[in-house]
Amino acid sequence: MPSGRSTPLWRYAAGRLAQAVPLLAGVVVVNFTLIALAPGDPITTLLGEYPAPPDYVAQLRQEFGLDRPLPVRLVRYAWNVARGELGFSFAYRLPVATLVVGRLGNTLLLMATALCVAAVVGVALGVVAARRPGGGVDTAATGVALAGFSIPDFWLAQLLVLLFALTLGWLPAQGVRSVREEYTGLAAVVDVARHLVLPAAALSFRYMALIARLTRAAMLEALSQDFVLAARARGLAERVVLVQHGLRNAALPVVTVIGYNFAFVLAGSALVETVFGWPGVGRLLYDAILKRDTPVLLGVLLVVSATVVVVNLLTDLLYAVLDPRVRY
Amino acid sequence: MRVWLAIVLSGVVLATSAAAGPAQPQRGGTAVVALGSDPETLNLGITTSFPVGAVGASLYNGLIWVDPRGEIQPQLAASWTISPDGLQYTFQLRPNVKWHDGRPFTAADVKFTMEEVTGKYQGRFRRAFEQMDRITVVGPTTLVIRFKRPFAPFLRLLSVFDCPILPQHVYAGGDVLRHPRNMEPVGTGPFRFREWVRGDRIVLERNPDYVDPVYLDRLVFRVFPSPTLRVTALETGELDHISDFYLPKTDVDRLRRNPAIRVRIGQPIPSVGFFYMNTRRPPLNNVKVRQALAFAINRVQITQQAMAGLARPARGPFGDGFRWAWSPAADFNKLYPYSPERAAALLDEAGFPRGAGGERPIRLRLVYDAARAPLVAAAAIIQDNLRAVGVAVELVPVDAAVRIDRVYMRADFDLALETYTSSGDPAIGYHRIYATAPPRVPFVNASGYSNPAVDELLTRATEATSRAARAQAYAEVGKLLAADLPALMLFDEVGVDAARATLRGVWTGADARDRWDAVWIQK
Repeated sequence: MPSGRSTPLWRYAAGRLAQAVPLLAGVVVVNFTLIALAPGDPITTLLGEYPAPPDYVAQLRQEFGLDRPLPVRLVRYAWNVARGELGFSFAYRLPVATLVVGRLGNTLLLMATALCVAAVVGVALGVVAARRPGGGVDTAATGVALAGFSIPDFWLAQLLVLLFALTLGWLPAQGVRSVREEYTGLAAVVDVARHLVLPAAALSFRYMALIARLTRAAMLEALSQDFVLAARARGLAERVVLVQHGLRNAALPVVTVIGYNFAFVLAGSALVETVFGWPGVGRLLYDAILKRDTPVLLGVLLVVSATVVVVNLLTDLLYAVLDPRVRY
Repeated sequence: MRVWLAIVLSGVVLATSAAAGPAQPQRGGTAVVALGSDPETLNLGITTSFPVGAVGASLYNGLIWVDPRGEIQPQLAASWTISPDGLQYTFQLRPNVKWHDGRPFTAADVKFTMEEVTGKYQGRFRRAFEQMDRITVVGPTTLVIRFKRPFAPFLRLLSVFDCPILPQHVYAGGDVLRHPRNMEPVGTGPFRFREWVRGDRIVLERNPDYVDPVYLDRLVFRVFPSPTLRVTALETGELDHISDFYLPKTDVDRLRRNPAIRVRIGQPIPSVGFFYMNTRRPPLNNVKVRQALAFAINRVQITQQAMAGLARPARGPFGDGFRWAWSPAADFNKLYPYSPERAAALLDEAGFPRGAGGERPIRLRLVYDAARAPLVAAAAIIQDNLRAVGVAVELVPVDAAVRIDRVYMRADFDLALETYTSSGDPAIGYHRIYATAPPRVPFVNASGYSNPAVDELLTRATEATSRAARAQAYAEVGKLLAADLPALMLFDEVGVDAARATLRGVWTGADARDRWDAVWIQK
């Protein structure tokens, strides 16, 4: 067991995990109640724009358990979730878990790409800008960052499509892969990558801007410290000073911001996925809302909440590793 | 300047060559068709949902199909005879038809489908089934259907969209609603099911055993949730066809100027846009107020501005989509020309005079689907038109699920904007607007209107065996409805769908969804 003044990491982790469980339980209850109380009936939404036979409607209502009172449905749902069952989709007639898992890969691919691009470009921009505050590069980087904050994801998405898909014809506008050709092997990877470019760009822009601003501020702070002055005095190359002394100390807030923005990236992906016809969890959520597919809606919200909790937990742990002071 | 001239000329050449094209259909290729969302199932026999119809129409067959002139043509039925009293239909079925799993198709499949599936679960076909006395299988390819009372729109309800024929050997003895084959169907249609990647695509492949030639290798239905980008995908060539249901009207003008795309204006299945008036409560329980609204609304402005010119101002309680059923006695242009003055006079007469500020003591809540841009624009025009006669309108934009709840389940509205399709016959699609109905049924008589004389005439229009007799019934009921106005027709929609110019044979059927076997790609 590690000794010292700070709490051991495992105990810290266990404590944080214990906090997550009631949080998720609360999410289950609140989500279920809010959605059940919202107007709009899944059965009538499901049946198409012609009157359906009343006995058919009654049969569906019973099949989906909607003929029972709300508290009974809530207890039943909570019990199922506790046993790891997310329920059965009204609209697709498939287990919710199957639907969510089937889509999660696409969303994670989109999010991971967007976050990597945002982190790499954002940090690079921030570092470059911090080298000469107020200079031309800094002003340009600040302008890009400001644009990133101001432009809504879905609008940027449409602009990208107009330019790169419609006008220039360089990239596909929709979906995750081509349907006219059935690629395999490397060609399939390239095909998916081509489809990924525009949605990932649309999704990453805002976070790239955020990370650039944050990195710039943290770098300026770090570079004003005495140890940087000392490093420069020792005659170290500017690149080494920037990366090893500046960026290493500036990394902490950047890691935190990426972790804590995970939920927002997920929310943004719902819009971007809808614009680009990207078959991910965000789209599943959007469709579930329109169709009042309550089990899917609840399932996606739960999985997303759990993912956010886990990512935040990992961020805290990473932070605790990088800076043992937080374990107090 | 020269560059522009060259571009224009090449456009003209392209358009001309696309329009001319070789006469001989070519085999091969993949066509990609737009869907707005995933279908809920692929069993077309248990739903009237649009996306299910779009895909299911290529997997299954009906006994008949409808050509672009609206005429009924044989599909699985080779021929039929109708007894003079209109009560008995005898069908000769097409021989040598096979299911996708290789089993032979027979008359028993038709009887099973009607009795166990579409007669029970298909909202439109069920109406025909309720009028049936019995279905008799006379031989493997002969079937007799006997009715209790004549039912004029019956043949029309035998298309794949209303009564797709399902395999008895697959569904018999099981739960039709939960059957796994609903997701991986077995049909007799021109294409077989291959794969369904939910949220992305449904892939069908050519049925090699189909009785008629099928040209495409594959037919892919792809989900494009954003209307704007759906059109973009058509322009970039990622997509080959967008049906009327999914095509944003505001883009039609641009598409018409694009030589790589062909636009068909005027799908021959009439449908109407209108608003229900809640006759259960004041002030709309007063017929003078309802008539005043008819004078106050500028239907021409709605067709021009909200519908981008792709509609005709409504000319009667059933629109004017069915020429044979239209009657000058109920012509809105004569009865209710746009006249704010006459509207104001009627409102005064009804006991709602203008106050000091020019407003009358009437405040109406208008409920409509916020996701449908033409209806959003129509709502704004209605608000504006009614403000001009001193009536305040509160706009209530909601999503589709909330609209069903508010308008049909709770009747919590004053005016409710709707569009209904006729499905090829006023008795199938339009009677539900006016006929007396139990409360809380989605897409049925939201106004709460009930008039025995109207009900009787609508029944007559359904049961009459000659078109002349039906027309007479519609003329009479039209007069009553034009006076009572439980709903105000605003426009007849003009259908419009668009396809890549290389796609040929798209408009072989009345509905662009149902004859993909005839479609081929010009290489």
